[in-house]
Amino acid sequence: MAVNESLRVLKTIHYDEGHYSLFLSAGAIGARTKPGHFAMIQAGEGLRPYLRRAFSIADVTTMAGVPALEFVIKIVGVGTAALARFAEGTPLPVLGPLGVPFPIDDLLHSDRVALVAGGIGLAPLVLLARTLAARGIAADLFYGGRNENDVLKRGDFERFLGPHRCRYATDDGSLGRKGRVTELLTHALARGGRYRRVYACGPVAMFRALATLLADANLEGSFAMESEMACGFGVCLGCVVPMTDGRFATICKEGPCVPPTAIDWARL
Amino acid sequence: MTVDLSTAFGRLRLKNPIATASGTFGYGLEFADYLDLASLGAISVKGLSRRPCHGNPPPRICETDAGMLNAIGLQNVGIDAFLAEKLPELARLGATVIANVWGDTEEDYVAVVERIGHERRVAAVEVNVSCPNVVRGGMVFGNNPEALAALVKRIRSATRHPLVVKLSPNVTDIVASARAAVDAGADALSLINTLVGLAIDLERREPKIGFTTGGLSGPAIRPIALRMVWEVRTALPKIPIFGMGGIETVEHVVEFLVAGANAVQIGTANFRDPSLAGRLVGELAAWCESHDVARVSDLVGTLRTRPRKDHSFA
Ligand SMILES: Cc1cc2nc3c(=O)[nH]c(=O)nc-3n(C[C@H](O)[C@H](O)[C@H](O)COP(=O)(O)OP(=O)(O)OC[C@H]3O[C@@H](n4cnc5c(N)ncnc54)[C@H](O)[C@@H]3O)c2cc1C
Ligand SMILES: Cc1cc2nc3c(=O)[nH]c(=O)nc-3n(C[C@H](O)[C@H](O)[C@H](O)COP(=O)(O)O)c2cc1C
Ligand code: FES
Repeated sequence: MAVNESLRVLKTIHYDEGHYSLFLSAGAIGARTKPGHFAMIQAGEGLRPYLRRAFSIADVTTMAGVPALEFVIKIVGVGTAALARFAEGTPLPVLGPLGVPFPIDDLLHSDRVALVAGGIGLAPLVLLARTLAARGIAADLFYGGRNENDVLKRGDFERFLGPHRCRYATDDGSLGRKGRVTELLTHALARGGRYRRVYACGPVAMFRALATLLADANLEGSFAMESEMACGFGVCLGCVVPMTDGRFATICKEGPCVPPTAIDWARL
Repeated sequence: MTVDLSTAFGRLRLKNPIATASGTFGYGLEFADYLDLASLGAISVKGLSRRPCHGNPPPRICETDAGMLNAIGLQNVGIDAFLAEKLPELARLGATVIANVWGDTEEDYVAVVERIGHERRVAAVEVNVSCPNVVRGGMVFGNNPEALAALVKRIRSATRHPLVVKLSPNVTDIVASARAAVDAGADALSLINTLVGLAIDLERREPKIGFTTGGLSGPAIRPIALRMVWEVRTALPKIPIFGMGGIETVEHVVEFLVAGANAVQIGTANFRDPSLAGRLVGELAAWCESHDVARVSDLVGTLRTRPRKDHSFA
């Protein structure tokens, strides 16, 4: 069950002009959060941004000893810019945890899984990596960005999964392999990598390529999808995507984590 | 002082004048974690049609200054699923349910209200004649007083439920629509629905909404909604009115009552804060108390206007 509560800004860590981590007090949301859940955050009382904005709950952690939710945010417009500027202690209305999390309860110790992140799509994979590590399930990370600055929280991923399990790709070659993140996965599969499931979050172009790749390799996937949202809990019907069964499904309620085979990529 | 919030609304008696607007409150049940459904005056559920409807392809929404555009295309589970799966639970939770209905043709509307039949757990039927986001039906009725009157007459003869007609603001003369609906048998009016708007993605030179245009809602439309409520109240002093459009605070609620609404519906603001409508009930009582208003109904239509004079040249 989601909670509508006011959470305090504990800290904002700026990685560069375009990316930051926002730490909020965990409230009642923290204990309820599973990897893949998201929250709707209201950036102030003003009329622009007007609606709350959706963000993956990247981690449930502590900040200076205080239980905290971490959000990893890329500035793309008025809301993400506003959220970067709140002073410590500012209360922000937050609704969460929302949506269908990543399916992980059925994983066995002997299973190995892959995490695929494109750009800011790393966000929901941080708590996933932490949770899998705690359960002793081996996971390989494939993480791509435009350049080195786009690839965030490497320290956390390498701590949770082990440095040898983290592979990077950048468009300009400034970190890891020059090329696309899907090529990293293709190579791993060619070398005999076998994955029980592939968890992914990134831009639509990455999802499309990955959906094809997984279908060809007959691999199961779970994609954390995005869509513009007004409510975040299934009432405005604004966030829908076309499904293979002909329906439009809400990403906030039936997602954000969905099997790629359920999405009608041709109509998206 | 205990404030009397009860609101006579034609044949309906509402606990208080705070209701929620169709399309912004789901089927009500989604809000049960965030407020007490029984504490609200009424809830109007997502527009119901004779058959389930998939709605429009995305993108369906975008934020605009002080509001949003939407072209959902009336996606809904259909009247049968609503009656079987949603209504019993709503009744159990003590909600006063208004069934918002729509169709492409007169026959579609009649079919939905006939399915509702004598269902006592539906307190009233609200007819959406004003959806701007579907290709057929909807707006055609809302824009044309003769078509509107014919439709309302047919629905009137098909139901004994209190009949609320939700008017389109996309007209030059809202009073003409209001009169047509009331003369054809409407018991009450809801105004306003969304205003047709356009938002542009400049880099792509494409509309931001897949349907091209969308319905504008939120604080941006509040002055227009207030004006329309006031115009209709002035022309039709007796008809019960649900006022809506950009309501977010208790002051906004009182503005609508003063302009002439008997009750209000909270819309887009439910997205911004799902607990809001419940909180407004308490805040309204507090506002009345601090302003020495014993009965909330005493506020209705109390706007004091100055006589308008013709301009004079120097
Ligand atoms: C379930 C979910 C989880 C998300 N998790 C994160 C996260 O962890 N970190 C992060 O930085 N972002 C995340 N996003 C995207 C984030 O919600 C948008 O970037 C944000 O809403 C943009 O707000 P804005 O006011 O800055 O941009 P606006 O000024 O509103 O728009 C700027 C641009 O962003 C696009 N946009 C607006 N809303 C969204 C949206 N919901 N999804 C995608 N694009 C959008 C617009 O089309 C426009 O091109 C997530 C989105 C969803 C739906
Ligand atoms: C996403 C969305 C969906 C809506 N769907 C309906 C609907 O199905 N039927 C209807 O009569 N009105 C619908 N409306 C209109 C609202 O009920 C209300 O009349 C309008 O939004 C103005 O109020 P507001 O500014 O407070 O939102 C919808 C509005 C929004 C924003
Ligand atoms: S964001 Fe409103 S239904 Fe998904």
